[in-house]
Amino acid sequence: MLPWVFLVVSAAMILPAAAAFAAGDEPGEYLDRRVVIWNLFFKMMTVAFTVGAVVSGTIIWLIWRFRESNPKAKPTPYEGTDW
Amino acid sequence: MGGHSNWPEWVYVGIVIALMTWVGAEAWEAERLIEHVPEDAEVIKVVGQQWFWTFEHEDGTTEIGELHVEVGKAYKFEITATDVNHSFNIHDYVVLLDAIPGRVNTVWFAPTEPGVHDIQCREYCGLIHYNMRGTLYVEEPSA
Amino acid sequence: MLELQKPRPIWQIMFSTHHTDVGLLYLITSLGFLFLGGALALAIRAELFLPGAQIISDAMTFNRMFTVHGTTLIFLFIIPFASAVGNYFVPIMVRYKDMAYPKLNAIAYWMIPPSGALIWLGFADFTWYATPPYSIISAPGPAADMWIFGLKILGISSILGSINFIVTILKCKHPDMSIGQVPLLAWSFLSSSLIILVAIPTFAAALLMLLTDRLGVSGFFNPALGGDPIAYAHLFWFTFHPEVYVLVIPAIGMMYEIIPRFSRKPIFSYNSGVFAFVLLSIVGFSSWAHHMYATGMSFTEKTVFMVGTLAAVPASAMHVFNFIATMWNGRIRFSSPMMWAVGGIALFFSAGAGGVVNSAMPLDFTTHDTYWVVGHFHLFVMGTIAFGSIGYLYYMFPYVTGRMYNEAMGKIHFIMSFVGTVMVFFTQHVLGLYGMPRRVFDYPPIPEWIAMNQIASIGAMIIGVSMVVFLANMIHSSARGAPANIEDPFGLGGRYYYPFEARNPRH
Repeated sequence: MLPWVFLVVSAAMILPAAAAFAAGDEPGEYLDRRVVIWNLFFKMMTVAFTVGAVVSGTIIWLIWRFRESNPKAKPTPYEGTDW
Repeated sequence: MGGHSNWPEWVYVGIVIALMTWVGAEAWEAERLIEHVPEDAEVIKVVGQQWFWTFEHEDGTTEIGELHVEVGKAYKFEITATDVNHSFNIHDYVVLLDAIPGRVNTVWFAPTEPGVHDIQCREYCGLIHYNMRGTLYVEEPSA
Repeated sequence: MLELQKPRPIWQIMFSTHHTDVGLLYLITSLGFLFLGGALALAIRAELFLPGAQIISDAMTFNRMFTVHGTTLIFLFIIPFASAVGNYFVPIMVRYKDMAYPKLNAIAYWMIPPSGALIWLGFADFTWYATPPYSIISAPGPAADMWIFGLKILGISSILGSINFIVTILKCKHPDMSIGQVPLLAWSFLSSSLIILVAIPTFAAALLMLLTDRLGVSGFFNPALGGDPIAYAHLFWFTFHPEVYVLVIPAIGMMYEIIPRFSRKPIFSYNSGVFAFVLLSIVGFSSWAHHMYATGMSFTEKTVFMVGTLAAVPASAMHVFNFIATMWNGRIRFSSPMMWAVGGIALFFSAGAGGVVNSAMPLDFTTHDTYWVVGHFHLFVMGTIAFGSIGYLYYMFPYVTGRMYNEAMGKIHFIMSFVGTVMVFFTQHVLGLYGMPRRVFDYPPIPEWIAMNQIASIGAMIIGVSMVVFLANMIHSSARGAPANIEDPFGLGGRYYYPFEARNPRH
């Protein structure tokens, strides 16, 4: 576990320094930071909402399926025991 | 407890770690791109103080509360403050950096089309923080 | 137990050192501050309903209000509430007669009312973060100094309380009980107390430095004297990012009590719950500077703290998994505590997902110090922590009072609060993306900003009304409620959780 932590941290510290040279730089043509940042944002929101739909869908289904008033509800194996 | 298998949890943790790695990698790549300041960017010195912004261009002209820039050029802001912390923000261009006394922070942008945008302070700085606003005028290239 | 069924003179409770008496004092104090802090929130939301001044006359009053709102709800509601629960249940769960150090316990409690008085009588304006150099050169005294002293005392109180919990759990648990049998709620107090012991001293030092800076005898954080405000930011967040976990871990522990009970199943994986608590309390220390991306940190620093932040996510995700897997195949009764706990999980996920998006470095340019951040952390403190806490309050209500609360009012309280929370804090995320800064008294009349502020304000009023229902329920039911069946107050077909109390007479 611990060696992995060190590996990740050291990689995180070396990579940015190595990559600073790689960024493109043509005179007169500038990067639009709005495009980069908002693209990243929308990509992440797409994933976040997808995961959110799965998680909240699961929770809602659980609430509906395993509520005690559901006709299909049956006692759990633990009921009546001293768990 | 006991009696159930744990592999669904391991799969789940694996998915979470994979997602986090992806988030980190994407964010790192985007940050790398926008951290790189173009060599020919013009420097604008930005000073925040309670409760207005002062801008000094490379040619020595100074503006208070408004900033005029031109389409097609890159600008590098060198941001500092004289009294308390402020945060220089042009939200429409996603420019944001703290103005901290005793420090110079830099951030750059290149305006793409003419227009008028709000400049605001995003770090609490006291009584009139809410109205520490300015205006950015992006103009057609002069030359 | 059953304080209200066997009335005693109030001073017997006040000067008692018994864990349930101290717990009751913590409980009543924290709920008092919940309503005070909540009232400030309603005033803030009413003020922001429209651009221009509405009900608050000037910006300084507004600034003082949001400062005291935050300070109160974090330090005088959430933390004392967790202490209340811990005092009631940790000794019972480890099968000991009391907390390890009963007098220390009472002392830790009695530090809270004076510090609450300092904070409220001072009414400082420099935000809960007391950022220098503003807090040194610009914030008016004596309010600022009173706030500093108040927080100082609260820090000591937290440390004393933590020592007590740690010793009680590790040293006073029943000899027949291994550490691996201690219930998860007690584990949550063990982890959060350990975090407090490591984290709080840093802020305690920073507070003293802030005070001497204000007195003009030092210049640690004052750039005019060669100091560095960023140093304060590091010291502050080194304490208060882990402190976020101090706040959230007991709330998760409370959900670990409620969810298996009402699902009529044991927790899916006790071991993964323990593992996630311990992991979170270690990894929680690797992410503090993600609050400071905008202070001009280097790419390398930002990357390290982003990785540290993302590393904390799997631990939190394990809790969500555990809750879902516990409910699976259960036979769930949705009494009020369960509704609050499940609502809390859903909002915990939303808060966490927003947090992941936040931690991506470039997105800080869009979200930092906007209403996005306000929405994000309120989903934690309100959506997760307050929901877990209020759920647990309903759960422990029969135990504390011997009476039953009004179930219908509990459900109305939950539904209104849930709807209100979603309306306020999800809207605030979007408002932040439109660029509205936090901590502003007034804002320009941009149509989108007005609309979203109004949605948020209406949501806040819904929460406000639900809290009135809550207060009425608590007061009425504790005095006049139907006597609870103390063996099984929720009709779950099993014993109520706390068998030791039955077997162990009061000392």
